[in-house]
Amino acid sequence: MIGRGVMVLALMLAGGAALAQAPAGTRISNATRGGMQDRSSHSPAEALFVEKCGMCHRQMGMGTVILARRMDPALAMLELRHDLTVDYVTAAARGGIGNMPRIQRGEVSDAQLRVIAGYLAKVAP
Amino acid sequence: MIDPAKLAAALRDFRSAIGADNVFDSDQDRTAYSDHFSPDETRHQPGAAVAPANAEQVQAIVRIANRHGVPLWPISRGKNFGYGGAAPVVRGSVVLDLSRMKAITVDEHNGTVLVEPGVGFFDLYDYLRARKIPLWLSVPGNSWGSVAGNALDRGVGYTTYGDHAARICGLEVVLPDGGLVRTGMGAMAGSPNWQLYRNGFGPGWDAMFCQSNFGVVTKLGLWLMPEPETMAGIDFEFDAPDDLGWAVDTLMPLRRAGIIQQAPSMGNWLRSAAVMTRREEWTKDPAPLNDTVISAIRKRFNIGWWSVQVRFYGPAEIAAASMAVLRRAFDKQPVLAMKETHWQQGDPPEGSPFSGVPVSFPLANANWHGGRGGHIGYSPVLPPRGDLAMDQFRRTHALYEKYGMDYHASFAMGERSLTNVNQLLFDRDNPEMMTRVDRFFRDLVADAHAHGYGEYRTHIEYMDLVAATYDFNGQALRHLNQRVKDALDPNGIIAPGKSGIWPGRWREKQA
Repeated sequence: MIGRGVMVLALMLAGGAALAQAPAGTRISNATRGGMQDRSSHSPAEALFVEKCGMCHRQMGMGTVILARRMDPALAMLELRHDLTVDYVTAAARGGIGNMPRIQRGEVSDAQLRVIAGYLAKVAP
Repeated sequence: MIDPAKLAAALRDFRSAIGADNVFDSDQDRTAYSDHFSPDETRHQPGAAVAPANAEQVQAIVRIANRHGVPLWPISRGKNFGYGGAAPVVRGSVVLDLSRMKAITVDEHNGTVLVEPGVGFFDLYDYLRARKIPLWLSVPGNSWGSVAGNALDRGVGYTTYGDHAARICGLEVVLPDGGLVRTGMGAMAGSPNWQLYRNGFGPGWDAMFCQSNFGVVTKLGLWLMPEPETMAGIDFEFDAPDDLGWAVDTLMPLRRAGIIQQAPSMGNWLRSAAVMTRREEWTKDPAPLNDTVISAIRKRFNIGWWSVQVRFYGPAEIAAASMAVLRRAFDKQPVLAMKETHWQQGDPPEGSPFSGVPVSFPLANANWHGGRGGHIGYSPVLPPRGDLAMDQFRRTHALYEKYGMDYHASFAMGERSLTNVNQLLFDRDNPEMMTRVDRFFRDLVADAHAHGYGEYRTHIEYMDLVAATYDFNGQALRHLNQRVKDALDPNGIIAPGKSGIWPGRWREKQA
């Protein structure tokens, strides 16, 4: 499981590094510590999600940071949501959405995407 | 440009060689492998993609491509955002997607790793942590991408191992004719020194496969930093634009002397704002952000006009002595703020890229203008002198103003150079802005060229433009590259146009 508190590292590295603050509604951690993601998992499906999606959709991922601007920051991490369906996740991954690029089949196969979408939609495997 | 009949024939052969499940040629696939930062994704859209599982399959694909005259565009993981992503220079090329090749071999004792191109920074990070191997990565600001691909494109990170190409030690390469070579000590079958001694015997070829189209790298050796006993440093804030000059002149002697062994990057206020906020939170005025807004940004993030972070790695005594030298260098200098930071073994993980922790959030700057955004990088290299840095800053800043764009820049201090990394943040759904960005970029390249400065890396759209600025003796180096290209790749199969290197048959078409 992942931590409930959306912890935010206040460090920014677009072409360098500088101090920054968190998106509204997220808790600010120490400026240069605590940006690490929880990379743990407790099922093969969760492990696949972490491997393929976690870098953007767990703590301090690009997707989490941007989604926190558009919705309740407490639900900015996909794994905390209850409104995701298999079809929606599949469409978002393959079609891209907002700033999220399309996920290519070389990176995530159709079979892998089915597992990940099922995990996020909380559908029993 | 690519004959549809030849492509169809090649795809048939690819399917029988690597399985139909690993050949992608639907419209959705072609779009997925395009540059998603581009205002017109069709401009560099590939014709298909193939995803081999190993070097043998790469060899088979290269041979098939030769047979049918179909160009391949190798990608490691295709996350080279700001430089074209997965997309090829030549529309209709077949993307050779190496994402599925994910083998990792770590030599913990010697601090080296051998990675296949599909291994991302997060993958390698997870691998090391799961096994409690005390080696640190050097990660780029977007760590979603490939360890090997980033090193081959001369990407940079934040630790003393941040010049990634300089830490490459030994490659395995599929040549354009389908042959397989290993460089350095790997040229000897079964050598235990492949990842230990770079040169081998005779000419060294590792650099030949960086930013080139001379082969397809299928394995890459890289040195990793042994976890240091201590990491210590100072975060500096500077109040005025003019502080750039003296700050560079204060830091560079320490960099040259080897006191500072990572590349400090001095960047402006927009780096923070663009990642953590959207522009509309600050102003509705489309003109470049004014001093009032800049002050508000600086106040909110408690930062200077410029910020720079310096870090030392090693035994506590050495880090402490280095810190004392750094403090002395800035003694009585008009620094706005200095904040010291210290980590030692036994502390909780430091948790930032300064200790090799991979991150993806800097990519959030694509959202600066709201909606679907993106960026391209403009990164000329200049001598490491404060007056030249100030001159570069003033000229570039004036061009940002001229083209109505928000200034976003940093100056990364190499051992003997400065790399002025500028981000052009845009809204790709704004055609007027995208036209402006293109003219702006061309003006920037021309401005650098007029001063004898060249870019270290560029977007697929501008590879010819930048290659042409390397103009000594009638672009003699480009001609050499093209002679090598023709010798190794007579059919022009591997990545035509990469780094401005065109195979003979493409040059004839262009003539």
